[in-house]
Amino acid sequence: MQFGFDWPNFIRTLFSPEGTFVISLLVLGLGILVGFLVWRASREFMRELGVPETVEGTPFERTARSLGTSTVGIVSNLAALFVYILAITVALNIAQLVSPEAYWTRFTAFLPNLFIAVFALIIGLIAGDKARLVVSERLRSVKLPEAGVLPELVKYSIFFLAILVALDQLGVETMALLILLAAYSFGIVFLAGLALKDLLASSAAGLYLLLTEPYSIGDEVVIGDQQGIVQEVDMFVTHVESEGKEHIIPNQQVMQSGIVRVRD
Amino acid sequence: MNELRDLLDGVVADANAVFLFSPSSAEFERFADAEEPVVVVGPENAVEAESFVELPIDFTDLEGRIRFGIEGALDKELVEEGDEVVCVSGFMGGTANTVARIETTEFTPSGVYDLFVNSRAEPGVVRDVFEVAVELGKKGQKGKPVGALFVVGDAGKVMNKSRPLSYNPFEKSHVHVGDPIVNVMLKEFSRLDGAFVISDAGKIVSAYRYLEPSAEGVDIPKGLGARHMAGGAITRDTNATAIVLSESDGLVRAFKGGELVLEIDPEEY
Repeated sequence: MQFGFDWPNFIRTLFSPEGTFVISLLVLGLGILVGFLVWRASREFMRELGVPETVEGTPFERTARSLGTSTVGIVSNLAALFVYILAITVALNIAQLVSPEAYWTRFTAFLPNLFIAVFALIIGLIAGDKARLVVSERLRSVKLPEAGVLPELVKYSIFFLAILVALDQLGVETMALLILLAAYSFGIVFLAGLALKDLLASSAAGLYLLLTEPYSIGDEVVIGDQQGIVQEVDMFVTHVESEGKEHIIPNQQVMQSGIVRVRD
Repeated sequence: MNELRDLLDGVVADANAVFLFSPSSAEFERFADAEEPVVVVGPENAVEAESFVELPIDFTDLEGRIRFGIEGALDKELVEEGDEVVCVSGFMGGTANTVARIETTEFTPSGVYDLFVNSRAEPGVVRDVFEVAVELGKKGQKGKPVGALFVVGDAGKVMNKSRPLSYNPFEKSHVHVGDPIVNVMLKEFSRLDGAFVISDAGKIVSAYRYLEPSAEGVDIPKGLGARHMAGGAITRDTNATAIVLSESDGLVRAFKGGELVLEIDPEEY
């Protein structure tokens, strides 16, 4: 830990070796007490904030429940564990039971980052699932399998962000990942946009047609130069039938040419 | 025992094809080297047979199952008309305990295979509607028997040959048969009068429809009521399939081209 100046050495110069040992025991005891308080306070705090209700029903909470704990439990335990480890390391440093250059000291410096990383992951998991729920709730009225992709997309983007933040905290070089992602997404968006241009336009039009239903099955319509009875409207195409011929018209074309409803 | 063996030999002698109904893989293996072509009939092709006819619904009565299997095989040209086939099937809950020899011209095709596979609507949609009708027939509405009329496929034409009896509860909704909620929904709506109209892709277009086809030349068994007449007649006027649950005798019947093609008892499923 960065203490500004060397606290353990300072304490060691102040007290006799036995005194230092007692001090380190005291630090340890204090650490355990603080850890417990942190555990309780974070629990209370999260209860006050209504975290248990918010995370209710997300897969993470369910997994936690099946393991006999809860999201609140995991987070508060993590916080307490963090304090415990901190106390133990400081005590060890003061008592000089391990050499200061040892692996452990570097580990202590690493600890807050680790804690934030785990915390970010947990929040990411929960937020991702929550976002998926909210988005799918919004799209509830659109009963189409194609629309089911959107909530999943939102969920995984949030997962990805959380993982990036966590990795960043752990000191992993995320720049390469980001660039890779950017390249990938650019490639995919560019190529998919190019390849699926018509489908995308059709599905956007289809979404409008399905939600507002300017015409429905059984109506006689003229679309472009096709006249007939609407047999089916889906995300991408509209089926119009006349005299034994079924015209399958892309929804994009429907929007472009406009619709004439024949009423008589 | 010799007489019995002779009897069985007589039944299976000179058969042109063997039909195995939902065989286990061990049974299928046994026929691997058979000279006659082997046709597997079942809900899924678990043994990965070359010749396979898919059963869309779980026929409990043997005749329906064999009929469907043979009509399917004829349609796929796995067997030819006039062939004599031996059907190995399970009966009364057993597996492979019945052997029957049937000449494929012995019965007039009822169109039951046609109903599922060559309907205008997708086969899965016809099956789903069938299942809903059977379910409805089994349980009824709050214990009381109900009737229902589903017109599947060619929805545009059906809509033009019918008029609404009341507001359409399915307007601007995107409910498809096969969605989990549909069974409950249709059960509740089945107390409404009129027909359900379902599109080729399975979208429930409307409820509360009064069908107005011309009923000339519709040949349905006497004694069936207005619901069946309407269902039968609309299938003659359009390319739709009608699936009717009778309120009085609780049977599920399917009409196509103005004719009764399938009649099953929900209690048997």
